[in-house]
Amino acid sequence: MTSLVSARNVSKSFGNVRAVDNVSFDIGKGKITGLIGPNGAGKTTLLKAALGLTDCEGSLSVLGLDPFRQRKDLMQNICFIADVAVLPRWIRVSQLLDFIESIHPKFSRSRTEELLGQTRIQPTAKVKELSKGMVTQLHLSIITAIDARLLVLDEPTLGLDIIFRKEFYANLVNDYFDEERTILITTHQVEEIENLLTDVMFINDGRIVLDAGMDELPEKYVELMATGEQADRARSLNPIYEREVFGKNVLMFEDIAREKLQGLGEMRTPAIADLFVAKVKGAAA
Amino acid sequence: MIVNQMALIRRELWEHRSIYVTPLVIGLIIVMMSVTGHVAISTMDQAVDLALLGATNVGENERAVAINVMLISVSTVMVLAMWVLTVFYALDSLYAERKDRSILFWRSMPTTDAETVISKLLTAVVIIPLITFAVIAATHLITLVITSIWVAIRGANAVHLVWAAAPLIDNWMTTLTVMLALALWLSPLIGWFLLVSAYTRRSPLLMAFLPIVLLPLLEKSLLGTTIFADAIFVRSGKLPLFKGIEAAEFFESAGNLQEMAHSGISLISIIDLGRFLSSPGLWLGLIVCGLFTTAAIYVRRYRDDS
Repeated sequence: MTSLVSARNVSKSFGNVRAVDNVSFDIGKGKITGLIGPNGAGKTTLLKAALGLTDCEGSLSVLGLDPFRQRKDLMQNICFIADVAVLPRWIRVSQLLDFIESIHPKFSRSRTEELLGQTRIQPTAKVKELSKGMVTQLHLSIITAIDARLLVLDEPTLGLDIIFRKEFYANLVNDYFDEERTILITTHQVEEIENLLTDVMFINDGRIVLDAGMDELPEKYVELMATGEQADRARSLNPIYEREVFGKNVLMFEDIAREKLQGLGEMRTPAIADLFVAKVKGAAA
Repeated sequence: MIVNQMALIRRELWEHRSIYVTPLVIGLIIVMMSVTGHVAISTMDQAVDLALLGATNVGENERAVAINVMLISVSTVMVLAMWVLTVFYALDSLYAERKDRSILFWRSMPTTDAETVISKLLTAVVIIPLITFAVIAATHLITLVITSIWVAIRGANAVHLVWAAAPLIDNWMTTLTVMLALALWLSPLIGWFLLVSAYTRRSPLLMAFLPIVLLPLLEKSLLGTTIFADAIFVRSGKLPLFKGIEAAEFFESAGNLQEMAHSGISLISIIDLGRFLSSPGLWLGLIVCGLFTTAAIYVRRYRDDS
């Protein structure tokens, strides 16, 4: 696996708070990795470090470059949408395209115009005249037209309605993604991207608590729905987390042979959101 | 590098439209005042108005001075407005992009922080004076055309009375030289404004001027010296661009212009570029400007308040 992003013992502190605490991971080419974590877990700090927008301790390499020292070179091959408000409000759509065209060697203006043609965004409009959803559409259209190798999305659909969100991810997969491109994405709405992801990373209190391929999850994690005495027997098998749904106990197991759970109840692969809660809360318990 | 600078400077002109709107509006006001002024004079007797122009009873040198005074007063108003504009521009240039949170977008483009900050410095020191100068020259031409029409209506020869006497090229070369030299001379202030703009969390205007006012006061009351006051305020009037005389003194004594009128010498001949370029004050100022600018670049690079 060629590693596009490689982090070794990366840390970043703000005063006494360790926002990112000794984190190591790799992201390979052609992957769509979801970085999932509660607010304040260090997601955004980690992404900023990877984008060269903030300095950090440890060794961090993105596309073989040191992001903080070589941000300019890096930005020719990386795109990011950090939040919908990030495009300057005073600029006209045509000016924005003029600017990027003159400064970004890998930007295709005609491709953006083609994509914008499918929307209601006029080239003469100012960004502040566009709705939040349209600004995100605009940003994604620009980024899709940049021949970059890594796309970083930090809460790209925050504050958008469901139609724009669905459309955003559909466009992302249909227009942007191919095996040459890699995506790193954070979002609160995990359910919406669950079936896009090839890999998932959980981060909590600045540490990575899970780093796995989506295809490994069914082998590694299993959820058992059990009641009464069956639940008691299952509980003795060291579940990592337990919750109650409609009077049934749902127990989550990590690295367990399925035969052991046979006959104790209904088994299924946990959803990312449930797995996340189990990993974060289970670790705290 | 140069292509990037052009794109970045174009961005500054899009974002801060006041850079060209302000001089255009002032130019328009001057043109309108010129029209109303000529109309007002026209209500007087014809002999009076031609005499008022100084056309019939004075020699070519005096006429050239009369027109020069008109040209210089237009330039002075414009340059004063330009400096107010430059202060506001410099203070806003690195603050606005943080306030509207677009800084993350700008930093997602393949340009360095140094390129971006330098584009703002160049805009303040070179681009704003050049644009203002272009508007000054256009205003000069339009007001002279208005005067010519007025003269021609009165049956006098405008080409002879106005255009032959108007020392346009001499005046323009001098104006542009003074404008650019003044921008370089005051560049440490611009560098300071850029640093405040990159650093401050609120009210850049207050944060920029508070130390400028307080430091000299503190120094005076605590140490009894005036090093800061001299470096900040006295310096502004000490542009060493003129032959053997400081700018402030030159413009204070009106006799200079009359003297020049009678001798018929040109404005550009009193400019001493050698004195300016060899003045330690200029180079010290440029170094201070460079230090402030470098600090602004580092603040933009390391600051993370989103």
